[in-house]
Amino acid sequence: MTDHARLRGDRVLLGHGSGGRLYRDLVAEVFVAAFANPVLERLDDAATLVSPGRLAVTTDSHVVQPLRYPGGDIGRLSVAGTVNDLATAAARPLALAAAFIIEEGFALDELRDICRSMQATADESGVAVVTGDTKVVERGACDGVFITTTGVGEVVVDHELGPAAVREGDHVVLSGGVGNHAVAILAARGEFDLKTDVVSDCAPLWGMVEGVIAALGGRSAGSPDGRVAEGSADRAASGDAPPGGGPPDVGPPATTALRFLRDPTRGGLTTVLAELAEGAGLGVEIVEDAVPIAPGVRAVCDLLGYDPFALANEGKMLFVVAPEASERVVAALHAHPYGRDAAVIGAVTTAHPGRVALRTPFGTRRVLDMPAGELLPRIC
Amino acid sequence: MCLALPMRITALADDGTATLALEGLEQRASLALLPEASVGDYVLVHAGYALSVLTEDEAEETLTLLAELGEAAAAEEEEAGGRR
Amino acid sequence: MAGADDAARVVDALARELAAAAASRPPATFMEVCGTHTMAIARYGLRELLPDGVELVSGPGCPVCVTAHRDLDHIIALARLPEVTLATFGDLVRVPASRSSLAAERAAGADVRVVYSPRDAVELAAAEPERQVVFAGIGFETTAPTVAAAVLEARQRDLSNFSVLSLHKTMPPPLRALLELGETPLQGFILPGHVSVVTGLDCYGFLADEYGVGGVITGFAAHDVLRALLRLVRMEAPAIEIEYTRAVRPEGNLVAQRVLAQVFEPGDADWRGLGVIPGSGLRFADEFAAFDAARRFAVDPGEALEPAGCRCGEVLRGVLDPSECALFGARCTPEDPVGACMVSSEGACAARYRYRGFDD
Repeated sequence: MTDHARLRGDRVLLGHGSGGRLYRDLVAEVFVAAFANPVLERLDDAATLVSPGRLAVTTDSHVVQPLRYPGGDIGRLSVAGTVNDLATAAARPLALAAAFIIEEGFALDELRDICRSMQATADESGVAVVTGDTKVVERGACDGVFITTTGVGEVVVDHELGPAAVREGDHVVLSGGVGNHAVAILAARGEFDLKTDVVSDCAPLWGMVEGVIAALGGRSAGSPDGRVAEGSADRAASGDAPPGGGPPDVGPPATTALRFLRDPTRGGLTTVLAELAEGAGLGVEIVEDAVPIAPGVRAVCDLLGYDPFALANEGKMLFVVAPEASERVVAALHAHPYGRDAAVIGAVTTAHPGRVALRTPFGTRRVLDMPAGELLPRIC
Repeated sequence: MCLALPMRITALADDGTATLALEGLEQRASLALLPEASVGDYVLVHAGYALSVLTEDEAEETLTLLAELGEAAAAEEEEAGGRR
Repeated sequence: MAGADDAARVVDALARELAAAAASRPPATFMEVCGTHTMAIARYGLRELLPDGVELVSGPGCPVCVTAHRDLDHIIALARLPEVTLATFGDLVRVPASRSSLAAERAAGADVRVVYSPRDAVELAAAEPERQVVFAGIGFETTAPTVAAAVLEARQRDLSNFSVLSLHKTMPPPLRALLELGETPLQGFILPGHVSVVTGLDCYGFLADEYGVGGVITGFAAHDVLRALLRLVRMEAPAIEIEYTRAVRPEGNLVAQRVLAQVFEPGDADWRGLGVIPGSGLRFADEFAAFDAARRFAVDPGEALEPAGCRCGEVLRGVLDPSECALFGARCTPEDPVGACMVSSEGACAARYRYRGFDD
């Protein structure tokens, strides 16, 4: 930490990326100032961590425009996105690395705001930015700032999550309404002359996912091995471990009720469902009316001809769970601020393996295919 | 070629456009093709232009239909009852 | 206030009424001729609710899908001009032309902008006077008046850098062309709701008077389509009726008709899968020649590629099943479509392709 501010001016200069004096000043007065923690403050080229067990690692680049939008900003997005990817592996976030590519001339105050937003989001998830990198490119070579975050996490369940764990009859649970992030961004970009009260759902979901795992008898921070039998789930969740490891032979641990987690970001709910069906070699049937959609999102979709199921979300999680556990999962989600609108939206079936079907309010069925690619408004 | 949305006119501007609203969505559309529209009207908007004033919305129509179908069903039942 | 349950109950009741009405009558085939109806029917899975004896086929109702290769090539040639900003509805961006698409051109450096309204294209021209803004004008009578109104606005604002490539088409001529071919086994039409908001119902009179085929103008809710089918099944003498009374007046929108007639006049148009249908297109009236992109820019679109073996015309007429076309699922797929029926995500062929593997 420096005794006095050495950064001059209010804009990022090419020199700030060149690794010398200016660079150290930028790091100290913007990044370390925002992300203050003992590991980062050592300013080593690599941060060392103690590895507790199975690790998950993920990385994500963030290039969102505009940088700030109703409900969030690129900073919050860059932390939440990586925390959420770790959460899909049931991994508690341990550490984050953040690499910045900054356009020459970028306002320092804006950079400070972005870092503060990152720190606040990281705080929510009990994680810190322990190392990072900065490059500055010529004006025009990037759009303000690009942020790449890499996260390392500790996997807190003992079984393999993924499409292979999915079984016929499993329930599909969604933590809340779809399309909010995409609609908020669309309106904020100003390409179409419309105003909406929809805000992005951008949020770090580890706390919410942790609550679900705990409700299924799993480990949460500081509690012992979560291998408990059905019925002792409540005791385990409150931190009391059963003596002697629990009653023998009463069925699989409750956490194995959790089969698959994915956050429906770009490509939307439809893409996640398609990946699930394809990966599991099973069919998925979704009840259209069961999928929560805010009326404001629906209105924009109806106006521009978008499919709300194909829109990006940044604060939602999809769970595939054993049917007997889904009520508990929904209750755990409802108990969390980011999961208030959670609902069971469908089930896994042996019909139409590899494909996803939607049951309409009229009892009829239609196919849900992966969206083609770029989201385009229609008049037809 | 027919994607059109029913929206309510909340304000008129001097330049022949109107502000339309639906569920927290606000949009500007031209009244060049529907100059007689007024504030409070429920209109069909296509590609940024209002095309028609709606006499009732879809939800109202559903209710009307339900009532009609209910009456029809009741009438059928009566007839069936009369025949027994 | 009606809720989702009410809508479901109404649809259920209508489906039962339709079944009852169809049971006592000979089997019938009806055609819907609006791309948005095709989408709505697919979205609600309405075909599953149809009783035996009532069949629904998809006609040439998607203005994007029936845009011919040579017209798409023309748009692309314009987009390639360095001074041109090509403004388009989103629907056109991915449609394959003979050798390219607007998406591919944009990736190669062309200035392609997606707009929601033709007014946005006019604003673009006003905001960027050094660019030549060309609007790709597709659509039927719902959209053409909005483009005409935009042209009037451009003239009023004295914009010399705005023009439109008019590829607009009108709805009644292809219906006549279909019926003239004779081999279409149709008992009636589900007529486009929003085209009719503009046109009114007189333009469809010939269907009943000259060909003995009735039509019902209907909206886009599930109950709208089912009520239209009910009316068609019960129709004694062929007539044109309006089910969509909440939006459609018998005379249509007279202001829109006037604006349309002021800026455009009938011309020939080339329909993908059907060929040239005389009088089915809209071209600029001479008074507005200055806004005609076809006259303003001399471009060579190159030779139009008409893929051999495309049988969309027969599929659109309802006389060929998609699976009977040799290209279906092989050379022609939703990702790499040849004809109109595969271009539309809910066209007869695309829908059939996507529903493979589902029991019904």
